[in-house]
Amino acid sequence: MRHRAQSRSFLERGGFCLLALVALIVVAFDVLPALRLLWAALLPGGAFNPDAMLTALSSRSAVRAAQASLETALLSTLLALPLGTAMALVLGITDLRRRRVASFLFVLSVMISPQVIALAFLHLAGPASPILNTLGFAPEAGSANPMMGRGGIILVLGLHHAPLVYVVMSAGLKRIPLAVVEAARIDGARPFRILTDHLMPLLRPHLASAALLAFVAGIGNFGIPALLGAPVNYLTLPVLIYRRLSSFGTDMIGDVSALGLLVAAIAITGVAASQVLMRRNDVQLEDDAPLRPFWLLGRARVATEIFVALVLAVTLVLPVLSLLASALVPSYGMPLSLATITLDNFVEVLARQDVTIRAFTNSLLYAGGAAGLLAGLAVPLAYGLVRLMGRARILAVSLLEIAYVLPGIVLAIACILLFLKPLPLLGFSLYATPWIILFAYLARFLSVALKPVLAGMVQVDVAQEEAAAIDGARLAQRLFGIVLPSLLPAAVAGGLMAFLLAFSELTVSALLWSAGTETIGVVLYNLEEAGLASQASAVAVVIVAVVTAAMLVLDALGRHLPAGALPWQSAMEDEAHMNREPARAPARTSVLDRLEPKAALS
Amino acid sequence: MSTKRILLSLLAALVPAIAQAQGLSGNLVLYTSQPNTDAQQTVDAFKARNPGVTVTFVRDGTPKILAKLSAEFEAGQPQADVLLIADSVTMEGLKKEDRLLAHEKADVSAYPAGTHDPQKFWFATKLITTGIAYNTKAGFKPASWQDLTRPEVKGQLVMPSPLTSGAALIHAATLTGAMDGGWKYYEALKDNDAVAGGGNGDVLKQVAGGQKLYGVIVDYMPIREKAKGAPIEFVFPKEGVSAVSEPVAILKSTKNPEAARAFVDFLLSKEGQELALKQGYIAAHPAVALPAGYPAREQIKVMSFDAGKALADETKNKAAFADIFGQ
Repeated sequence: MRHRAQSRSFLERGGFCLLALVALIVVAFDVLPALRLLWAALLPGGAFNPDAMLTALSSRSAVRAAQASLETALLSTLLALPLGTAMALVLGITDLRRRRVASFLFVLSVMISPQVIALAFLHLAGPASPILNTLGFAPEAGSANPMMGRGGIILVLGLHHAPLVYVVMSAGLKRIPLAVVEAARIDGARPFRILTDHLMPLLRPHLASAALLAFVAGIGNFGIPALLGAPVNYLTLPVLIYRRLSSFGTDMIGDVSALGLLVAAIAITGVAASQVLMRRNDVQLEDDAPLRPFWLLGRARVATEIFVALVLAVTLVLPVLSLLASALVPSYGMPLSLATITLDNFVEVLARQDVTIRAFTNSLLYAGGAAGLLAGLAVPLAYGLVRLMGRARILAVSLLEIAYVLPGIVLAIACILLFLKPLPLLGFSLYATPWIILFAYLARFLSVALKPVLAGMVQVDVAQEEAAAIDGARLAQRLFGIVLPSLLPAAVAGGLMAFLLAFSELTVSALLWSAGTETIGVVLYNLEEAGLASQASAVAVVIVAVVTAAMLVLDALGRHLPAGALPWQSAMEDEAHMNREPARAPARTSVLDRLEPKAALS
Repeated sequence: MSTKRILLSLLAALVPAIAQAQGLSGNLVLYTSQPNTDAQQTVDAFKARNPGVTVTFVRDGTPKILAKLSAEFEAGQPQADVLLIADSVTMEGLKKEDRLLAHEKADVSAYPAGTHDPQKFWFATKLITTGIAYNTKAGFKPASWQDLTRPEVKGQLVMPSPLTSGAALIHAATLTGAMDGGWKYYEALKDNDAVAGGGNGDVLKQVAGGQKLYGVIVDYMPIREKAKGAPIEFVFPKEGVSAVSEPVAILKSTKNPEAARAFVDFLLSKEGQELALKQGYIAAHPAVALPAGYPAREQIKVMSFDAGKALADETKNKAAFADIFGQ
């Protein structure tokens, strides 16, 4: 008796520590930045002054930028939605060959950071395009680059966010029971009718949710409008915020906070609406097998495969080739030929320039450090959320999403507001140190790293843990002995996913870097802004290589992960995954749906 | 005197000697508006002379560098030791705010008065003029600032923005002072569908790349790229050019004043000035030759401008420009 009482008291103590950890993380990474931002916008100088905020929001450039943000986000969604949905259907329900590779490549295109993609498209078209010049198709000098400005931003945003739609729709397809298709087949329905009459109605909430996510991603995106819009003065809200802060300094922080709040409000409304939709219309997948490809395309298969190849060519292959071509010419505007081809740009950025070398090291360090810390935090956090929090976990998980849903540039403002002045009690400022970037990465990518771990945690058998507890195993022992081994692959995958997104991001570090803490995203943007387009392209090529390598590692890890942990694997047919479903834990849907999908938001 | 004290004083006497023997050391942070490649070359050349010093540089447009610096002043930890930025007007502003450290021992004997601050707070290193560039495929060749308002140029002109570039800010202050009607000139450019977005690098890219046929730009960029084979040509307009001097200064908050002084000395030395020549700049040192592609030094006509007024009107000028070009 005495022994049990002791173990229980320890369990409670340990449980308290875990709960405190959850609370600390939620407050530090999500609640605090959000409140600080609200405070700066609503109470500039410490007094409630809505007039100041209204003035900032109603200035001519702010209204124009808000309009630009809304129209690019909206129109790009109209492009991303049909494209992503078509890809999800083709790869999810037909007997297309090489679906796995196609899925991997399609998702790879969204994992390459927006500014790299924007740079690629910028160099793909226009009179200076190395590819067009080499082929002799370049438009006449003096004709504008069609990628610059509104149209280009919409096109590139749409193509870049199509995989986001694809991920949501693929996840939606996976949740439809195979029985739906089988019942329709028994009724004699053809595949096309099964799709239109049976699947599409079930997919409608996912469609709406995917549209909202693509819209939110468009609103918060910085890299694409910064490279394609800023040079011709077509500014979206995030770019206006960046330009104001970077050209006028922190005197503008009050105005900029108000603008940031506006962007944040749009983004948060979008994501919240998407989650409500998903929850209300959720298809319950109980003990049924999930949907499997059922549409035998027959002679249409080749045509469909050509469509998929074209989509991949436009979203990934052409942009990467364009980067490569720009990186191999001595100066922007020259054609690529045997006479002009050079590796100088690579030598310059990889061997000669201290800044780029340092930036690569920094990005590896910050993204890697954040990823490692997040992977470590995710396990106790997931345990605390799933085992100890009961209904409160829904609130906690929602709060944990804040920093991810906030557009990166807005999170960066919150970090400046929090850390510019020396910290109380400690007396030193985190501003202009690596720690402010690390903090921002931890806050921003926490929910990305947490997702697969949470998915794994709900599948860890309670019974095994209970047995261990009766045997007297303490909380720490259970955590390390039982929970950790089964969650390790998921934690590693979550960490790698965070690394992928953090490695070449620009939105957060654009405002937070300083001497010696440049990230590779910042250096890329800076090189392009300084007119060194060929060197910027060389940096971009290296970024693509690193991201691809990390994705391949993740993909190899995929077999050890809970189903749906990797966005590009939800569509592929893999017997191992098929058989692992369905999950047993009853709480699964409510927790997991709030976390789907975790591809790059901005 | 105890042995210990003798030893200590001996040691104390030795330390500077050792330091002298090994040269300078420590870290030096440079904030500069030079393009990355040039900044790296400058740093490398300095390090070849002072291998003990680790130099880190940050590059951005002058207004952005200043915005970063002002945030760092506010956070109480300015990172930069040395500034090498576009214009002396900005330096005058920093001097007034008491942010700079005078380098009294700097050797300026070779330089005419006016290229450096009389109290030696800042020193000009180059002469960078702003003129007109055009793509060689352009049909019309502009020869004057007024030409840019002509219909041949409509929709084809790109300029750097004073919100990004220090040279562009001085250029705007100079032209609005020198051209009839002041800001009306810029209104005319806007009516001719000129755009102003980024910095000079952006202008270079657009004109060399053929996305725009004409650009307002600093001299060395097109002259240098032309030598590499890019289809671009630079013109010194007949009214004259505006000019900045890319001054260098030491921040008062520097943690390594010795190395900072050495850096300034290096830039002002014959070797530093010849590096500027090699990079394609007009060196400030009057005895240094001009790079290939430039007219003779005395043929370059620099328009005069009122530095005091430019400093007082800095924010006003930025706002006026932003208002016309919608930024």
